[in-house]
Amino acid sequence: MLNPHPDLTPSVLVGLGWFYLVIFLMNLLWTIRSFKVDGEYRNGMPKASLWAVYTSIVMMLSFYHFTYPVEGFMFSMPLAFKDFFDAYFSNPVLYFFLTILGLWAMIQFREWWTKPTVAWVLLNCSLIFMTLSLTDYDFRQIVGKPDNVPIVAMLFIVAFFTWIYFRRAVDNDRRIDEGRPLFEQEDNDKVLVWPDLVYTELICMVVLTAVLVFWGIALQAPLEEPASSMKTPNPSKAPWYFLGLQEMLVYFDPWLAGVVLPSIILGGLIAVPYIDFNKAGNGYYSFKERSFAITTFLFGFMPLWVALIVLGTFLRGPNWNFFGIYEYWDVHKVEAANNVNLSEFFWNGLGLGIPKGSGVGDILLRESPGIILTIVYFAALPPVLGLTVLRKYFVRMGVLRFLVFSNLILWMAILPIKMLLRWAFALKYIVGIPEFFFNI
Amino acid sequence: MTDPKPSTNDILSKIRAKNAAAAPAEQPAAPVAPVIEAPVASEAVAPVEKPAAAAPKGTSDILAAARAAAKPAGTADILAAIKKPAAVVAPAAPAAGGTPKSPADIMAAIRAKAGAAPAAEAAPAAEKSVVAKAAIAAPAGMSAAEMIKAARSVAGGTPVPPKVVLPAKPLVGKAPVTGAKAPAAQIERRTAVGELVVFLLSPVFIAWASFSTACGAFGLGVARFMMPNVLVEPPTKFKIGPTNDYAPGTVSTKWQAQFNIWVVNGEVDGAQMIYALSTVCTHLGCTPNWLEGEQKFKCPCHGSGFYKNGVNFEGPAPRPLERVGIRLAEDGMLEVDKSVKFQRELGQWSNPSCFVGVT
Repeated sequence: MLNPHPDLTPSVLVGLGWFYLVIFLMNLLWTIRSFKVDGEYRNGMPKASLWAVYTSIVMMLSFYHFTYPVEGFMFSMPLAFKDFFDAYFSNPVLYFFLTILGLWAMIQFREWWTKPTVAWVLLNCSLIFMTLSLTDYDFRQIVGKPDNVPIVAMLFIVAFFTWIYFRRAVDNDRRIDEGRPLFEQEDNDKVLVWPDLVYTELICMVVLTAVLVFWGIALQAPLEEPASSMKTPNPSKAPWYFLGLQEMLVYFDPWLAGVVLPSIILGGLIAVPYIDFNKAGNGYYSFKERSFAITTFLFGFMPLWVALIVLGTFLRGPNWNFFGIYEYWDVHKVEAANNVNLSEFFWNGLGLGIPKGSGVGDILLRESPGIILTIVYFAALPPVLGLTVLRKYFVRMGVLRFLVFSNLILWMAILPIKMLLRWAFALKYIVGIPEFFFNI
Repeated sequence: MTDPKPSTNDILSKIRAKNAAAAPAEQPAAPVAPVIEAPVASEAVAPVEKPAAAAPKGTSDILAAARAAAKPAGTADILAAIKKPAAVVAPAAPAAGGTPKSPADIMAAIRAKAGAAPAAEAAPAAEKSVVAKAAIAAPAGMSAAEMIKAARSVAGGTPVPPKVVLPAKPLVGKAPVTGAKAPAAQIERRTAVGELVVFLLSPVFIAWASFSTACGAFGLGVARFMMPNVLVEPPTKFKIGPTNDYAPGTVSTKWQAQFNIWVVNGEVDGAQMIYALSTVCTHLGCTPNWLEGEQKFKCPCHGSGFYKNGVNFEGPAPRPLERVGIRLAEDGMLEVDKSVKFQRELGQWSNPSCFVGVT
């Protein structure tokens, strides 16, 4: 019987063989490095021998993929794991909490995961996870789509640059604690713009062009059927870099998520230099001296932007339903999502019934709980925060700067708050006045 | 000096060599002075020539004077002092070697003049020096072009001959009529028609004419673009067949592709009726899909869901789908009018123009 969705085909196996070969070569170099750098165990065995064993296993795996027939192939992601993953990890709530947890762990254990060996182990884990997952048809359909290749690359690139930042910052923090000069001061090998920098840029330019050309040849542009106003592709996805915003549009009115929030993001980023009073960390990496600024940035960047792009790309399927990474994209997947406005919660909860009537007064009365809540959130919270949690910042910034700062923070916080409310209470809008096209 | 265009380094090294020698180089100042002075004006040249002869003999003198006045404290001061006179000397080099070859040389000469002024102020001892003269001689309101002209005339050793005033050219430029074959007398005899022909054949006219023609053609093309031959807008009023085409409890998607509507035969508030829903999602305008299994309209863009009656219940859509006008035409067919919309949140669904009751 011909399986229309084969998990494994000969070409997939050969591709995976190449993938393993790359991993093998990477680890071969790493083993050499480890032999030179890592030293020995107490019994005289070099620590690199573990890497040598692992590397040779990967090499054998590579050859196994090249030579083995599809029937009876043994090395793939276990079905039990896939089912477990799809059953428990395919919901946005858990996903979001995991990203927050990941951010927390990244900051908390920064001294640990910035060690080269640890980072290398993590990289290998992610690569092996990739290769194992690629044996799954549905995973391959999502990840291998030419559209989505840059996002897979982006994950590794973001991880790499974050790692570099934390490694330098951890190093400098240690130096500051010990009273030693900063890395940037001690290792101050300044070079000339010409030729050092310009040559580097030239080489980068050439390499990048070569990569783009190769990419353009190797991966075909994902053309779809001709556009039609009558038919929307299902799922219909924004360009990958806007998928975070598209995810926001699920929770907010288009006017808010499409116009107001992006403007606030841009305006807020422009305002950062005027808000930031902390002069430390200027020209060198440091985490401890700028922990608040960096945590805030990473929160806005990692869970609220990168993770949402990943969510929109890999985990949103037909009808914008949430799918596990090994799950078949079933157009008819039913997801109960009966959303209710805050006003309905409020008036029905009080047993009064929603105020009827289409006059302006009636509408405002109907939505009064949400309106009051919103006003309190944006007007009353900043002073409260300034007098309690953020007192330190209030004192340093003064009234005007603090108001801008706290409102930006509150706008950023409204994203996860609204998402949580939607997930927890199926809340649609806090203020829902479709009559005026005004929904919050 | 053999090198007609010495570099700054050359000049500096020469100056340094002179300083080291500390002896008057006895380089005649004469070539220096005119270079700086002459460009001003002819009447300025005469008084200047003589003091120039009595003035310090060489650059080293100027340097010494400048140093004496400035009392250099450090190397930097000395260098600065050297640089100022060096600027004066710079033009001397090309002057001695011959005519300056490039505008760069000429500009250097002009700059040297400007640079000499502060040096003179800083060195009162060198009051009578060439430097000072140069400073005085440098007129304030001289344009760069004038400076260049003046500098050229002097550096070249000969005054610039008065520019040959060419006879004003006629518009036709190099038109053959003005050539040797046609004497001036004949030109005057040309008729207006002849001049027009000459003008029309001139390259300037041809170039501009073709350019304007191209622009005009483009403009016409744009104007034509605004009035397309075919307007692919479906009519807003159309017949969709008799009522019994639509079985009770069904959603018909057969007009979705053509007219962007769904025709629903359903029960609303206890009354069986046929109504037409617009296929535009009220969130961001995608086209939702009718899912028969789940009995709902589901938008693929952000997951908005609508009941069969068009009321939104899930996802971000803020309001129900819109109904369009529908009526039973005189011939017993249903007629849809897409030019009117009926929104539930505005209480318009009770309007009898947006549904047809069926029994």
